[in-house]
Amino acid sequence: MQALALAILLFPAAGGIFLGVFNWRGSRLLTAMVGPGVIWAAFVCVLILLGNNVDQDFTYWTWIRAGSFEVPFDILIDHLSLFMCLVITGVGGLIVTYAVGYMEHETDGSYARFFCYMDVFVLAMLILVLAGNTVFLIVGWAGVGLSSYLLIGFYYWRRSAVIAARKAFVMNVIGDIGMILGAFVLFVSYHQVVYLKLFPALPHTPDATTELAAFLLLVGGIAKSAQLPLHTWLPDAMEGPTPVSALIHAATMVTAGVYLVARFHPLYDATIYAHAAVAIIGAVTALFAASIALVQTDIKRVLAYSTMSQIGYMFLAVGIGAYSAGLFHLLSHAFFKALLFMAAGNVIHALHDDQDMRHYGGLWHDMRRSSVTFLAGSLSLAGIIPFVGFFSKENVLGEAFSRGDGLGYAVWFIGFVTAVLTGFYTGRMWWFAFWRPASEERPVAGHLHEAPLVMLVPVAVLAVLTTVGGFLQIKAIGGWALVDDFLKPVLGEERIRTNGLEYLATVLTLVLAALAFAAAYNFWIRGTWSPAGWRARYGWGARVLERKYYFDELYDWAFVRPLDRLAGFTDREDRSLIDTGAVDVGAYTERGAGALSLTQTGFLRSYVLVFVAGVVIAAVLVLWRASS
Amino acid sequence: MLLAASSIQVGSEQLDVSWFLLLGAALFVLGAIGVLIRRNPLVMLICIELMLNAVNLTLVAFSRQLNNREGQLFALMTMTVAAAEAVVGLAILVDIFRVRDLEDVDDLSELKG
Repeated sequence: MQALALAILLFPAAGGIFLGVFNWRGSRLLTAMVGPGVIWAAFVCVLILLGNNVDQDFTYWTWIRAGSFEVPFDILIDHLSLFMCLVITGVGGLIVTYAVGYMEHETDGSYARFFCYMDVFVLAMLILVLAGNTVFLIVGWAGVGLSSYLLIGFYYWRRSAVIAARKAFVMNVIGDIGMILGAFVLFVSYHQVVYLKLFPALPHTPDATTELAAFLLLVGGIAKSAQLPLHTWLPDAMEGPTPVSALIHAATMVTAGVYLVARFHPLYDATIYAHAAVAIIGAVTALFAASIALVQTDIKRVLAYSTMSQIGYMFLAVGIGAYSAGLFHLLSHAFFKALLFMAAGNVIHALHDDQDMRHYGGLWHDMRRSSVTFLAGSLSLAGIIPFVGFFSKENVLGEAFSRGDGLGYAVWFIGFVTAVLTGFYTGRMWWFAFWRPASEERPVAGHLHEAPLVMLVPVAVLAVLTTVGGFLQIKAIGGWALVDDFLKPVLGEERIRTNGLEYLATVLTLVLAALAFAAAYNFWIRGTWSPAGWRARYGWGARVLERKYYFDELYDWAFVRPLDRLAGFTDREDRSLIDTGAVDVGAYTERGAGALSLTQTGFLRSYVLVFVAGVVIAAVLVLWRASS
Repeated sequence: MLLAASSIQVGSEQLDVSWFLLLGAALFVLGAIGVLIRRNPLVMLICIELMLNAVNLTLVAFSRQLNNREGQLFALMTMTVAAAEAVVGLAILVDIFRVRDLEDVDDLSELKG
């Protein structure tokens, strides 16, 4: 079992090294086999561990030893890490398999490079969730940031892709700093890095140290999970290829913050302010992102903002202590968001990389299979019964409603409004891009090629999971809660007692979200309510939403431009002060040497004259001093 | 400084030390002027020899006056150095004469910066 746990990491590592070093520009077929193959191999390892019910902290060797500071190389296999590994390798495997078809137009070198990056990304993500101590966690955390940078900037010849990659990296590094400081505070205060020794050492009552550590870790979490105010990288990250968007923005990277809070739940349970901050940030981000998604025209950007919004729900859940509800939503989101991205990818692929929904239309007619799967994902995102999104979202909102205090009702209400908005923008995306007649601006006017089988099968698998996944956890009277039960050994007993009243809220949310989804039909297809009229009346509102609440402009004004100016200033000063100074020293030396070289006449007699004159002067001086 | 004797016996006569010193100074100045104003390298070498021997004379004169052998030893040393210097100087001159006809040391200024 010990070797098997390590094998989860070794398979993607071997795949990345093989593709990056040995199969560079090698056989395409081999790349297409190895790239997804190693992830499926890791998936099988996870399944075997799960089948044997392994729950252990495997220590392999001492990694770092410096005085009393000792870090083991250990892999923590428990139900939480296995749960995350199932999502990462399962959904990740489907996505990487899908990429075999999506990336077929790339050159040989780019093809291998893509799968190399994908495998490295999965490796980093697995390190993140399998790490048994905070130091190893930071390795995975930073590795995820690096590989997402490489994947977002995959089309490195496109300026916008490079800028987006850099932005994502800088934002993530801000989070990494918070993360590292948090781990440092925990080590300094409790002298432990290994989770299983650290958590029992934590106090149960709130104090300043735990609050500080929890806040610092939260900074890392919100940067990685694109929560306010470190969210600006996520929409721009849509510059990457669509499978990257699916992998990074659905299954794995952005959920790292949720995993972090769940993993450190003994710490967050012991705090008041930091824990509440998680819930508030999540709720506000959910509403904020959903409102922006209302006006976006790029289909991938709508999906990106919906991702932010759904991650907000997860933060909300773990912030109020409903950890397993948050993780259930993580699982369900991984299903339906990967599905949405890949079904949208099929369309983008067929329409020659056009992502503007205004150029779409007629897809229900021309690409029936992709459209049906996209509809399943959309309904799940909108929270319509019986799709998985309904069950997980209502689970989160129900827990918030049942908490019974001010925070619980506040975040429930924000979540409720967000659910209605989600219904509306999802409906807009569905009706506007897929249902309506083909736009005259559509890049491919006639018949569209439905995606090849290698792209359709992963989408279909996810569509099935999205449709039936909700039955994992039906909490209504006489129901069951498989996810809660599975995670109970790690997360402990339920912290919130539900009393049945939350089902009223559930019905209300469902009805209003469904109405919003249907209302989008009236808005965008039948034109009962004219979008143009609304724009005329609420033009300023639309502008604010289209500019994403001016966050990019604010950061530009507050950080980028001052730094630019500082850099320009130091550059000018460097040229005028330091550079000129250095040049001047050289010039004076040269001129002085020129003057001195005049004394080197080359005439022997003049040298002798100087010599004799010197001797005479010296003699005179000596005699004069001797006589006086 | 207390001199052991102010005169030196030469044959049967006593001669004052200052004469020897004056002769040495005169020879040295002649040599120095020769080096400064003559351009023929050979003559310049001879003048240098003259200066060296003027110093030798001074050394020997003082040696006799102070009744101390060290001055004479030093004169012998100077002669050795002078011989070596003459060898080197003449060797260079012979080498230069092989390449061209040299009458003026000022022509040897190609290495000037």
